[in-house]
Amino acid sequence: MGTAIDKTIFSSYVRKEGLFDEVFQSDGEVKSVYQKLLDLYGSRTIEDYVSLNNKAKSSFFNQGITFQVYGDKQSQEKIFPFDLFPRIIDSAEWETIEKGAIQRSLALNHFLWDVYHDKKIIKDNIVPIELLSSSPNYLHQMMDVDPPSKVYNHISGTDIIKHSDGDYYVLEDNIRCPSGVSYVICNRTALKRALFGVFNHYQTYTVTDYAENLLNLLESVKPPGVDAPVCVVITPGMFNSAYYEHSYLAKAMGVELVEGRDLFVENDFVYMKTTQGPVRVDVVYRRIDDLFIDPMEFHPDSTLGVPGLFAAYKKGNVTLANAPGTGVADDKAIYTYVPDIIKYYLGEEPILKNVHTYHCSRPDELKYVLENIKDLVIKPVDEAGGYGISIGNKLTKEEIEKVKAVVKANPRKYVAQPIMSLSVHPTYIDQKESFEQRHVDLRTFTVLGHDQQFVLKGGLTRVALKEGNLIVNSSQGGGSKDTWVLKQ
Amino acid sequence: MLARVANNLFWMGRYIERAEHIARYMNVNYFSSLDAPNQLSQSRQFVLRSMLFMVGDPVPDDSIKLEEESVLYDIGLNPEKFYSILSSIKAARENANSSRDLISTELYESLNKFYHFVVNYPTDTFVKTNLYDFTVNVTEMIAVLRGKIRGTLLHDEVYAIIMMGVNIERAIQITRIINTKYNDALLAKGSYGDTFAHSFEWTTLLKCAESYDMMRRLYKKSPTSTSTLEFLLLNGRCPRSFMNCINQVYKHILEIDKKVEYSKHSTAFMVGKIRSEFEFKQIEEIQEDIQGNLNMILNKMFKISENMEKEFFHY
Repeated sequence: MGTAIDKTIFSSYVRKEGLFDEVFQSDGEVKSVYQKLLDLYGSRTIEDYVSLNNKAKSSFFNQGITFQVYGDKQSQEKIFPFDLFPRIIDSAEWETIEKGAIQRSLALNHFLWDVYHDKKIIKDNIVPIELLSSSPNYLHQMMDVDPPSKVYNHISGTDIIKHSDGDYYVLEDNIRCPSGVSYVICNRTALKRALFGVFNHYQTYTVTDYAENLLNLLESVKPPGVDAPVCVVITPGMFNSAYYEHSYLAKAMGVELVEGRDLFVENDFVYMKTTQGPVRVDVVYRRIDDLFIDPMEFHPDSTLGVPGLFAAYKKGNVTLANAPGTGVADDKAIYTYVPDIIKYYLGEEPILKNVHTYHCSRPDELKYVLENIKDLVIKPVDEAGGYGISIGNKLTKEEIEKVKAVVKANPRKYVAQPIMSLSVHPTYIDQKESFEQRHVDLRTFTVLGHDQQFVLKGGLTRVALKEGNLIVNSSQGGGSKDTWVLKQ
Repeated sequence: MLARVANNLFWMGRYIERAEHIARYMNVNYFSSLDAPNQLSQSRQFVLRSMLFMVGDPVPDDSIKLEEESVLYDIGLNPEKFYSILSSIKAARENANSSRDLISTELYESLNKFYHFVVNYPTDTFVKTNLYDFTVNVTEMIAVLRGKIRGTLLHDEVYAIIMMGVNIERAIQITRIINTKYNDALLAKGSYGDTFAHSFEWTTLLKCAESYDMMRRLYKKSPTSTSTLEFLLLNGRCPRSFMNCINQVYKHILEIDKKVEYSKHSTAFMVGKIRSEFEFKQIEEIQEDIQGNLNMILNKMFKISENMEKEFFHY
């Protein structure tokens, strides 16, 4: 390593063998795109950096981007961990990611239309019927419903990793209510407040245009016959962990943030209750799960939803984004078919790679999984937030036996993948007051509208803060980084 | 605007305003008592009682001896007391939280920062040494919030609702403060002429309303009961006067309710009626029954607030 960084914040940075470091090459040289950034950060002392870090933390605190931790006496507010050292994606790599994300979203949209209409892909034996019939996320209520502009997954979050071979792989698609986009914007704000100087040296795309594009695309999928659509964001309420994001999006789009109790349905049209009486609502960006949107159609005890909303939707009088029933296309069992789905509907080769997946529902693959658990990651097909994941090489013998038993008992519920080595990125660790390698992934945000698409140039880089940990979800103690997509 | 959110914004305005009056009342009364001209006004017990009376928790019995630190804690930082400054700021922020999409980031951030300042304020320091610092900080931060409300929000219905809340609360708080000081003046009389009219408490009252200097400028004499009440109740150019508050409320209700003819049950009608009544009122009429008139004002303001709930916030 160079001498300039020896005594400063990178002085004790250790590169482990076999990990793909996004900043340093295997010979220890800094990758050219990071050189300037490293010069800027590397000249700082740890003390300096600690004070900057605190500045960034207070920026989050003051912006009110916090979550509640309930303790004995008073509930405490905490911020999501944020790392000040940004991740850079150059324009060529980004182009691949962007095209790949759009391709996947479009293909999944075709797939959703098909499985809720003619089911050609099943008849053509590309995707087995059992995957639909056994999926709890398949909503028979959506059969033959035509969503406006034929769009189902208006908003997708695609989780992508960089493997040790240097290629990007998709880990999963999130097309129900993917969250995290507000953190992309907050991370940028926090970094700008703490270290505005670094932006002088890089030409970075803005991330603040997300809401504008989102509103545009939401308006483009308005119900037929509506001139100037009224859009709203519906939230479960201020105690939801993503409430900040819901309010941010509503504010940034300049639309109302409603709760179920603010809306009502009359003659299959949706209205909100305002100080000036009822106002018709045309497009609902819903941040409430499928089964809670309408107690008359789904969970009868849901107080979050709006009675009659689904009937209004079926009549075509209101657009729901995302459409109900999208969950059938983003579970981990369907994931393995996405390359085939892309080829089937678009006639294209997948741009982004898929991680090879073993289906425990297939006897021969189940056999392989049971014999090779220590080299695999076992995942439940329908859990979000990183719950229920077992990583083979981290398990004891007894734990392996336990996992085997669980998988055998309910093979449809599990898939397995080779352990992917997520790339690592220098991350400041509070307790150790130094930078260390930590695994990162990337969630991109794609929006589909009427014949138009948008991908946010940036995305959420999530960091697994525990040493060696591969699970980056915030519910599992993950942090995040600002992510820069460079202009040419 | 959503009816539910309008309700939240209305109360955000009310709580922000409330916290300021309580903070200023504590500050002015405590510190002006230190060198007050007569013994009763100087008495710590008298001041603490006055504070508790103002926040709506009057001490029922003269024989009860109040503990200074616990009274200051209750009014300043006690989360269990609904009237504490901390409770008001908490409630203001909670109301802002649920309407965050409608207000500006700048306003929210200031309120949020303010909230953290108050909840993290060390209790011991506050009751022992920092009463002055804390209350001054609170009043100044609220001035910042007012500035952000006026300077960063669209002056539309959202603004009108918040300002309705602010001005209704101000009218109520000013009236409560006048009421409290009126009672204090009955006890702590002045030393010459009409001793009630020349009580030192009128000066304190004006300072509690941040109106002392301007009152001196206008009347050019030491404040008396008549001039003080006239200034604080009827002078439309004094920003803290009841008259100005009700004028503002009237202005803003017309932004929300744009009908040409008003039903007599509408809030706009109620506000207009009391406004007109006070526009042509003389101080002599009020002085015939000060207590009764102050109670009447309070009751009307409560009714207006209740009516708004029914008319606009029903959801």
